[in-house]
Amino acid sequence: MTGLHTQGLTIRFGGLTAVDKIDLSLEPGEIVGIIGPNGAGKTTLINLLAGIYTPTAGRVIFNGEDITAVPAHIRAVLGIARTFQLIKPLEHLNLIENVMTGLLFAGKRSLREARRAAGELCTSLGLEDLGRPTERLTVLEIKKMEIAKALAVEPSMLFLDEVMAGLNSAETLEIIAMIHTIAAERNLGVGVVEHVMGVIKTLTRRVVVLDGGGVIATGPYETVARDPRVVAAYLGASV
Amino acid sequence: MNRATTGASRRVIAICIAAAVLTAGFPLFAGPYAQTIARSILTYMMLAISWDMLIRSGQLSFGIAGFFGLGGYTAAITAKYLGVPPILTLLVAALVVGLVAALIGMVVLRLRGMYFAIVTLALAEIFRIVMHNWSGFTGGASGMLLPRTAFNGDSTATYAMMLVMTAVVIALSEWFRRGRVHYALTAIRDNEIGAMSAGIDIYRYLIVVFAVTSAIQGAVGAGYAQLFGFVTPESSFNVNVTLVPLAMALLGGMYGTWGPVVGTVLLGVLGEYLKLIVPYGHLLVYGIIIVLVILGMPAGIVGTVQRSFKNGRRSRVAAGGVE
Repeated sequence: MTGLHTQGLTIRFGGLTAVDKIDLSLEPGEIVGIIGPNGAGKTTLINLLAGIYTPTAGRVIFNGEDITAVPAHIRAVLGIARTFQLIKPLEHLNLIENVMTGLLFAGKRSLREARRAAGELCTSLGLEDLGRPTERLTVLEIKKMEIAKALAVEPSMLFLDEVMAGLNSAETLEIIAMIHTIAAERNLGVGVVEHVMGVIKTLTRRVVVLDGGGVIATGPYETVARDPRVVAAYLGASV
Repeated sequence: MNRATTGASRRVIAICIAAAVLTAGFPLFAGPYAQTIARSILTYMMLAISWDMLIRSGQLSFGIAGFFGLGGYTAAITAKYLGVPPILTLLVAALVVGLVAALIGMVVLRLRGMYFAIVTLALAEIFRIVMHNWSGFTGGASGMLLPRTAFNGDSTATYAMMLVMTAVVIALSEWFRRGRVHYALTAIRDNEIGAMSAGIDIYRYLIVVFAVTSAIQGAVGAGYAQLFGFVTPESSFNVNVTLVPLAMALLGGMYGTWGPVVGTVLLGVLGEYLKLIVPYGHLLVYGIIIVLVILGMPAGIVGTVQRSFKNGRRSRVAAGGVE
């Protein structure tokens, strides 16, 4: 059984159930949209999948193995990667060194080998002048660096947490094309959290809609966008 | 490194070689007084570097004096009760203190920031109280004498001993600075969740670095005990042993080997000089200088020089330079 699957995944913070009995599956090569209004539990779900949080209940299965108790750094080694909604680059490392970390530790490469592979990876994503400190990068370059850092752990599953935020439409199109290529070339399962519905529409064949920590709809974008529960969740009306 | 730096780095290498020759040949032209100061500077230098090696992970330690004192007592106790030869006590102290730190680290390295800092300060105090009150074994408040000291206290030989130790510590620090450890520690300092997501086992790296840096402090404590031939709770666990190296590293610049080296030499020499010209106010002047330099150069002397050097180079090589 390949791919990443969750069964009844739940996490409670005090009295708040941030993620509530979610059953989700993501297969290699598939791009799935994860949408929902603010506070729906999208980022919390990614943190659970990446091992930053330990669930209160439920299980995470990866390639047939229960990894619910596996810590975050080992999940990176196993091949689960993610980007961050609030991007915080490693500011005391330069561009290529930021990308090298995943290769060095998750990939267990030597310094020389990590530097070479990180250089190739950056170049393939259109990044140049790799010795620059991260404070000198443009927003688009920062986003590309985040994707490169995630790919540096050589993942089979990748979660992108609002990677398009702050980009103009031309840049957004470039990243969309990049994600398509990456997923196809590497047979990568990609989970995309995004607020811009146009992105979800062009990027994904299947969408999971969260609200109040639970899944309220799942299916192709065109179908879920017309689902009354989804419309209600976004517009705040009662069904 | 690249073409633009070769001329400058050649100059740096030349300065380093000159400094190494000067330091190694020091006893040939310096008298006992100067040698005493040099030994004290080397002692502080090792402590400042070891403190810096840990702060590179973002963990601030106020526990230098604790591990330094524990190392000194380990040397005295193993020499007195087990008959360990003087030079070997340095190694024994490093091993014992490193092991103690690893065990303590398993618990306290769950803490971050000021919580970790306060706990390291408390640890130093605990060690001091244990050594003070276990009087049947450690001599209590009056401390204990070492049965024999390294090279019977010969000035040149003990200077050489401290110099070799310092060379080892510098080599270790540079190895940490250039290898995988550098990437792991910098990532942990900058963003722990980001570090985990890159596959870094944060807890394991912190324990190893805490144990290694504490082992250095233990060995230095043992070396210091060999220089003076005795240990007491008040001198071995003195708070200055924590504060002075910390100030030296801050002044020279954190997150590298050469900041603490430069800071130690400057403050060490300055401290002695001030004692001569302002006999009763030297600590006051010393303190004011530290405050002013740190206010003016938050990156420290080495950090500030490096930055202006880098900026100068960037404006010279305007386009497409590699860092």
